Amino acid sequence: MSIFEYNGSALVAMVGKNCFAIASDRRLGVQLQTIATDFQRISKIHDRLFLGLSGLATDAQTLYQRLLFRHKLYQLREERDMKPETFANLVSALLYEKRFGPYFCQPVIAGLGDEDKPFICTMDSIGAKELAKDFVVAGTASESLYGACESMFKEDMEPEELFETVSQALLSSVDRDCLSGWGGHVYVVTPTEVKERILKGRMD
Amino acid sequence: MSRRYDSRTTIFSPEGRLYQVEYAMEAIGNAGSAIGILAKDGVVLVGEKKVTSKLLQTSTSTEKMYKIDDHLACAVAGIMSDANILINNARVQAQRYTYAYQEPMPVEQLVQSLCDTKQGYTQFGGLRPFGVSFLFAGWDKNYGFQLYMSDPSGNYSGWKAAAIGANNQAAQSMLKQDYKDDIMREEAVQLALKVLSKTMDSTSLTSEKLELAEVFLTPSGNVKYQVCSPDSLSKLLLKFGVAQLFTEAS
Repeated sequence: MSIFEYNGSALVAMVGKNCFAIASDRRLGVQLQTIATDFQRISKIHDRLFLGLSGLATDAQTLYQRLLFRHKLYQLREERDMKPETFANLVSALLYEKRFGPYFCQPVIAGLGDEDKPFICTMDSIGAKELAKDFVVAGTASESLYGACESMFKEDMEPEELFETVSQALLSSVDRDCLSGWGGHVYVVTPTEVKERILKGRMD
Repeated sequence: MSRRYDSRTTIFSPEGRLYQVEYAMEAIGNAGSAIGILAKDGVVLVGEKKVTSKLLQTSTSTEKMYKIDDHLACAVAGIMSDANILINNARVQAQRYTYAYQEPMPVEQLVQSLCDTKQGYTQFGGLRPFGVSFLFAGWDKNYGFQLYMSDPSGNYSGWKAAAIGANNQAAQSMLKQDYKDDIMREEAVQLALKVLSKTMDSTSLTSEKLELAEVFLTPSGNVKYQVCSPDSLSKLLLKFGVAQLFTEAS
């Protein structure tokens, strides 16, 4: 049993036309037992930057709190929000600090950068960044997610179509993974608004 | 005044005074003034900008008012570089508290921890005290809106209305006369601007020489710190009749 599979998780982020979507499952388990079906895996850093953390839930919570700490101070000193690319570098640095005793998390970062250009990236638990132009996945259901996203993804999707694609990719992938599921949580972010939706899937 | 006892912070004079701390307060007496007023629905901070020059690169950042956390702000009087260090300190303390307890730091606790830092520089280390006085304005769920004043010695206390910087004694006595316990934010702004206009040295009062900030609750129940824009400030000055027009006949 790998420590990364202790709580179970599924995360996906996809790029659309001047927008992005980030989605996660809602299950929190302790190995085979499900203990919560409304677990929040995606957190807002600021209105145009979202962070999803898969892996060990306690490390995900602590890592999020540390990142919020750093971002708040950045906001106060620089009097502006952090750009997604900068934030990704911060996450990577924070993870590498613990190179020989790491946080057991795989983050997914999604945000709107300059000129409302969507930015997504993921990294491993010690901060190796993986930038992608189309989609990034993480969690116990990641292999299924790779397959589903690869086949369903199209370039330059509008927000509504992007929502459908992400939702279908997420639900079909978590159905093949016993450690993730119990519905989905999708955020679709455009330059003007953030739409948060809960999905009802197979409740198991 | 015994000159033998003032070169080191860490010794008392025979009269029981700490001269370095007193000299620090002298330095603040020459700096731009700031006034804070506690209202029922918020806290108002007004500051006088001393550095005004056409050559100065105007940016959106403020000279006298600083945000420390979403629910806390402060006005400064004294040596700006000293203030920057302390403000950074305060910001980190507030975030450390939030990280540990997952809730905003209570106002008095933040003031206390900052004052503990200031006190350290009056007792050990051989370093000079910080030449800054602060007016802290904030809200927490324990005591609602609060206003605190702190000085270089590390002393602090809660106030209903306070003034720091140049002519602070004159401002303080004026506030004592005109302050009412059930004052609302708008009246507090008016009072602050009126008092500042009377105690400021400059001949004309324009929005370029002032900064106004308020801490209040939004309709949705969140605490907000807002700095007044120069345009709104000019309108307020005209509205309250404190803007002295250049063409006013004698």
